[in-house]
Amino acid sequence: MADFTQILDGLAGIIGQEPIKSKPDVTAQYAVDNATPKAVIFPKNTQQVSEVVTHANRKNLAIVPWGSGSKMAMGNPPKRLDMVVCTSCMKHMTDVDTENLTITLEAGVKFRDIQARLATQENRCYLPLEDLGKETNESICSDRANSGCFLPIDAPFANSATIGGIVASNSSGPRRLLYGLPRDIVLGVRFVAPNGEIVGTGGKTVKNVSGYDISKLMIGSLGTLGILCEMTLRLLPLPERMETLLVSYGSLSDASAFVKRVFETQLLPAAVEVMNSNAFTNLKMGSAPDFGSGGYVVAVALEAFEEAVKRMRGEMLDMARATAAKGDASIQEDQHRRFWLAVSDLFPCLAGRFSGLITVQLNYPISQWKEIIEFADNTLSTSHIEHAILARAGSGLSLINFLIDQGNTTAMNKGVEAIGTLLGRCRKAGGNLVVQRAPTELKQDLPMWGERPSDFLVMKRISEQLDPAGIMSPGRFVGGL
Amino acid sequence: MDDKALIDRLKEIVGPDYVLSSEMDLILYGYDASLEKARPDVIVLPDSTEEVSKVVALAHKEKVPILARGSGTNLTGGTIPIKGGIIVHLSRMDRILEIDIPNRRVTVEPGVITLDLQNRMLEKGFVYQPDPASQKVSTLGGNFGENSGGPHCLKYGVSTNHILGAEVVLDDGTVVWVGGKSQDNPGYDLTGLLVGSEGTLAMATKMVLKLMRAPEAVKTMLAVYETIGDGANTVSAIIGEGIVPATLEMIDNIVMRAVEETIHVGYPLDAAAVLLIELDGMPDGMESKAEKIIEICKRNNVREVKLAKNEAERAVLWAGRKGAFGAVGQVRPSYMCCDGTVPRTKLPEVLNKVMEAGKKYDLPIGNVFHAGDGNLHPLIMFDDRDADELKRVHKLGTEILKICADAGGTISGEHGIGTEKLKEMSFIFSESDLQFMRQIKKAFDPHEIMNPGKMLPE
Repeated sequence: MADFTQILDGLAGIIGQEPIKSKPDVTAQYAVDNATPKAVIFPKNTQQVSEVVTHANRKNLAIVPWGSGSKMAMGNPPKRLDMVVCTSCMKHMTDVDTENLTITLEAGVKFRDIQARLATQENRCYLPLEDLGKETNESICSDRANSGCFLPIDAPFANSATIGGIVASNSSGPRRLLYGLPRDIVLGVRFVAPNGEIVGTGGKTVKNVSGYDISKLMIGSLGTLGILCEMTLRLLPLPERMETLLVSYGSLSDASAFVKRVFETQLLPAAVEVMNSNAFTNLKMGSAPDFGSGGYVVAVALEAFEEAVKRMRGEMLDMARATAAKGDASIQEDQHRRFWLAVSDLFPCLAGRFSGLITVQLNYPISQWKEIIEFADNTLSTSHIEHAILARAGSGLSLINFLIDQGNTTAMNKGVEAIGTLLGRCRKAGGNLVVQRAPTELKQDLPMWGERPSDFLVMKRISEQLDPAGIMSPGRFVGGL
Repeated sequence: MDDKALIDRLKEIVGPDYVLSSEMDLILYGYDASLEKARPDVIVLPDSTEEVSKVVALAHKEKVPILARGSGTNLTGGTIPIKGGIIVHLSRMDRILEIDIPNRRVTVEPGVITLDLQNRMLEKGFVYQPDPASQKVSTLGGNFGENSGGPHCLKYGVSTNHILGAEVVLDDGTVVWVGGKSQDNPGYDLTGLLVGSEGTLAMATKMVLKLMRAPEAVKTMLAVYETIGDGANTVSAIIGEGIVPATLEMIDNIVMRAVEETIHVGYPLDAAAVLLIELDGMPDGMESKAEKIIEICKRNNVREVKLAKNEAERAVLWAGRKGAFGAVGQVRPSYMCCDGTVPRTKLPEVLNKVMEAGKKYDLPIGNVFHAGDGNLHPLIMFDDRDADELKRVHKLGTEILKICADAGGTISGEHGIGTEKLKEMSFIFSESDLQFMRQIKKAFDPHEIMNPGKMLPE
């Protein structure tokens, strides 16, 4: 690779030697599926990212951006890979404007650190951070006087994910029901385009119609249109009161009767998560109530004014008792935070236990949730695949985890077949499917991005216009973009 | 193809009754709510996606500029045919196609009037949130093109947060769906890109909109101030206390006077400004939050706070706000509304600078705006028959946008760029930012036929 050494030397001449790592012990840790990069670059700021991409563009090198690596299981294996550009050194919180309810950050800032920074002086925080009192990181501890806010996203991998990765993958969690998706929360981004130019769009205001809304295009584009470097997001004041109501049911029909009643009211829950027993019992939290095995649990997050939470709890408990609930429990504040963290982190947690884990995200019109879950449960049970289901009722989205051990090829083959069946069902309902995680060797047999949408031709035109040489995460995204 | 041949072809597509080209028609379709004027070559009124597709395909083949138009309420020249060509007036496509309550979605054609849809939905207990002041006249297609805002955006976001999909006609007449009833669809968020693209990328022929439950309770208050600065400080303080109202609107003395002359709302004419505050959602806890707001108002030297006791009183308070732009015509024959937006905390400082700039150019400025969003609407009042005054108006408009950009804000919060703010784009965008946008335009519309000359400075 004499050529590549020369290329790296050229790059070192521009950004210095320090951000460039090409020793095999480093590059091996940044493999994307089976492709190991020849070098990993750790730029210190947006300008350096621009210099790296400009150089890569000139030498036709393929780049994959990387935050903490938590989403690298997504997508197709890259068609080619020369360099990983890792944002882990870009971790300034540039502008924490809690009075204005906005925050501007570099892409490498960890989600956990954002929530910690926004906590009150008494350490009331959106995440359950027990060690917050002992925090010594200057950027988190300083100037918390006017705080008491949170970033209204509850994405998976809360402890490791970077904000850049969350935005690039359009990650969301159960509480999107009340707070929306990253597309509703991101106000502006600065990124490095495939030609190396730094491009900014949006800003610090909620209303902004100056020019094309490029932020929307970048959110969820998985590093195929550029490298996200900085972003501004909306904040909200911490809810006055946080509680969770857990209700267990013997069957999905009973659970859905309860959910239906909840949505017939004008009550405003933050999340309504329906989980099967495999999902509930695998939640990694200290003291979950024991509802026995089998059946379904509905978890309702209540985050609002004190009085509103009290009324919602009361009315929903009445609804639960009127709909064949087998048991119920109510958990508050810190327990509530731990519970929802465990829900968001279920699939990362399962990935540690089932090395052949396949996680599929189904999307469909909201009202279809019960039929889709019923179908998925039947399909997987027939195929003898153990599965953990999280259905985000009210949001039109479910996550289904296939609990498969590495090497269990029979289950894997059946899993591939089942995904095809589920895809067909979701398409019939007007939705689609995305495989969030699968063993690399299965990816070529899987519809990683579901069925190609009818507007794919426009997506292709955009990709070809912006990245004609195909250097940005080539092949990882929808339709091989 | 000459004009005659083009008109004949269009008549074949939509029928002879729906092609307009008389001198009168060309003048009528040559202006909108902005100060700009121009002249189209022909106007067509299609009745279906298929007809729109054929018209666009014809424009593409003949390389004729083409733009879609609803009610023409946009304030920045978005529907002015500055390069001539075909205007596609979508008023006949005004059907609500499907009201899908279980899925919380409604599918509409672009010609539906915003308020008509909202009234229909309210009967069922649901709300389509974006509420531009022009909602009585504006169409949903126009709201799509301009990414319209409105008072309730403080809590609920702008049109783009409520438009989840669309059937669009591409530059060559191809019809595709972006987004749809379900969210989280794999691929680029083209819906998000197209909303607010001012018709320069594609033409929407159907739209899927999000419905929300109507709030259980609403509480509306009017706070009266001796200085505009006290009102602005109250805005930041309320949100600083952890309360996010549905709206926080400010109206100053000049505009209150104009409103009183036309619709008699009962605004206090000896006050400097009023703040219209509305809370919505569950009633539980609302009372104590309202008390807290009143306390914050008092800390900021409020003269009095009036509470709307019932829906009728609430409607009166809102009538003044919604009718404000029209009422300003009482003061001077014309107005120009600047739409600069700044981080909320910068409001007091920016308002001062704006009023100083008005004095410098010797032009009266009225303020009626979305204070909670930091979205200013200084109304420069003038007489457009006075050439010297008109010149000063444009200079003042530019200066106000510069003040907003320098305060870390933007040049348009909800009205768009159109032709009016082309030269001010450089206040907030670098050449590489603009170049990226031009690449997007090229990906959709390489021959530049879709609403050419808008939004992107050449």
